[in-house]
Amino acid sequence: MAIETSNECMSAEAARAILDNGLNCRVNCDIPPQFQVGELVRAKVTHPKTYTRLPRYVRGKVGNIMKDYGVYVFPDTVGQRLSTKPQHVYSVRFAAQEVWGKEASANDALYVDLFDDHLEKV
Amino acid sequence: MTAYHHHAGSDPKSSSDSNIASDIALRVKAIEALLIEKGIVDPAALDTIIETYETKVGPHIGARIVAKAWVDSEFKQRLLADGTSAIAELGLTGFSSEHMIVVENTSEIHNLIVCTLCSCYPWAILGLPPTWYKSFAYRSRAVIEPRVVLKEFGLEIPENVEVRVWDSTSDLRYLVLPERPEGTEGLSEEELAKLVTRNAMIGAAKVDLTTVPSEVSQ
Repeated sequence: MAIETSNECMSAEAARAILDNGLNCRVNCDIPPQFQVGELVRAKVTHPKTYTRLPRYVRGKVGNIMKDYGVYVFPDTVGQRLSTKPQHVYSVRFAAQEVWGKEASANDALYVDLFDDHLEKV
Repeated sequence: MTAYHHHAGSDPKSSSDSNIASDIALRVKAIEALLIEKGIVDPAALDTIIETYETKVGPHIGARIVAKAWVDSEFKQRLLADGTSAIAELGLTGFSSEHMIVVENTSEIHNLIVCTLCSCYPWAILGLPPTWYKSFAYRSRAVIEPRVVLKEFGLEIPENVEVRVWDSTSDLRYLVLPERPEGTEGLSEEELAKLVTRNAMIGAAKVDLTTVPSEVSQ
């Protein structure tokens, strides 16, 4: 179901409220996670023509789920005003060498926030 | 004074290329005037937003959080376990800092924050991001060669220290808790806060006693 966007002009009061309180992107619901902390996952190889929060440089790379941050609205569909499609967000650790090859430092790592829909089981 | 004027006069020193800056400034001016004329944007709302980031919100807020963590180990534990709640204890939440993750720099781990997709940044905690943070060069190089980037910031990270680069790809925002420098044992929380720079809270600098408190360079 499409997301309605208000056409109303934002008042100074509304601006103040957003600045002070922010916009909550977290969703309070018990959607089960697709992945568990400690699990190896692969970032999907996909090249959507529409908006996505899955960076190209990790597509196809294998990482480790370090933390489950909880359930948030899914920007890939929210950005198109399609649906909120709430799902889990994880901190996924990719070894620098997994992403960039042997020239990268063996000690270093990239931590990328990825959503259930960005990931698949290894 | 309307928002129109604020924008027209916005920070000329933030760009090394004055032609590009004036093109953008002109375009913003034209779009803003149109939006106001058509009643789509209320200039009072724009003024509220601009005034907030010009006069209220900035790195001094993050510095308060860091200094408190340095002097209060229980707060530090809460901050690292759940940044959002710990920062809310201090009443310092706000737009683009709704969901906070705080990562700690230690003698073994150095954290660096980037947003490769755009320029996500904890606005309510650090103010608006510096120009370099939004540049294509930083956004691409921070993930592929963080050690070289850090060296250009004057920070040489020993090979045995793990560099962790955090890409802000979701709606969570990141803050680095820098190491407390040696020789600051006698300083108060307020004095400590003055040492904490914006770059240190992004991971692009360490905090040291020679830090210039009013770090304004873009």
